[in-house]
Amino acid sequence: MTPQLSWYLALSAILFTIGVVGVIVKRNVISMFMCIELMLNAVNLSFVAFSSFFRDVSGQLFVFIVMTVAAAEAAVGLGIIIAIFRNRESLDVDDANILKL
Amino acid sequence: MSLASLYVLLAAPFIAAVQVIVYAGAIMVLVVFVIMLLNVEEEERRSLRLRSLVPAALLFAAILIAEAVFSISFVGSSPFTPQDASASQVGVTSSIGTGLFTIYLLPFEITSLLLLMAIVGAMSLARSAKITGLARVIPGRVVLPRHLIDASTVEDDSPIQTHNTVETEELFGEHATQHDED
Repeated sequence: MTPQLSWYLALSAILFTIGVVGVIVKRNVISMFMCIELMLNAVNLSFVAFSSFFRDVSGQLFVFIVMTVAAAEAAVGLGIIIAIFRNRESLDVDDANILKL
Repeated sequence: MSLASLYVLLAAPFIAAVQVIVYAGAIMVLVVFVIMLLNVEEEERRSLRLRSLVPAALLFAAILIAEAVFSISFVGSSPFTPQDASASQVGVTSSIGTGLFTIYLLPFEITSLLLLMAIVGAMSLARSAKITGLARVIPGRVVLPRHLIDASTVEDDSPIQTHNTVETEELFGEHATQHDED
């Protein structure tokens, strides 16, 4: 039994939903950060699945660019997390409710 | 890592390799370093606000799950088949490179610009996090300016604790606000 396209899409939807629920429910900055990464990965999975099933390379190029954006976001986001933690001694997003550092 | 194995299954070996290198090699290492750096304590459970909306949320979730199951089972038999990993030319590195430098050249260059901006932003974030005046300050820690450590100049040498940069600047006076330019 060969894997169907809908299986990959279902897995992608499940991963994306876990990411969204984590971002909404969690209060820890690092947990929210990893949930955002999970959402990006879910989109990557659906891109690669479509690319493979339609035999078109464009999806994989999109995945490449999305991964670059994810890496840049990781660097800047973790820098912001460290700066906020130094100022507030807390990783709770409810404590970081003003834009001023 | 399991996503990378799925990519191999979908005949995308280049994307699988990049996934392993970028995520397991870079991002997860960064996250683990930050978690070690920040010695996170146990977060306390807090009471759920908006408790009255829980049944509505469950109802909407059930409706959405039913919709998803229905649509997935409906389109379950698609005419497309996954490409054979040994025979296909789509996912190999050369085709990705060709696409990246011909059709998608502009997004590629914009991505490089984005990486440059991320590097500069991360460096400026790491640099502006400290106030340099009389002493190197880590806000929230115990702070002792250099002229306070000298016991002859002051009689009270109890440590002074600040919680943010504003308090630190007030503690240090005018000297703290000027950043070192050298």
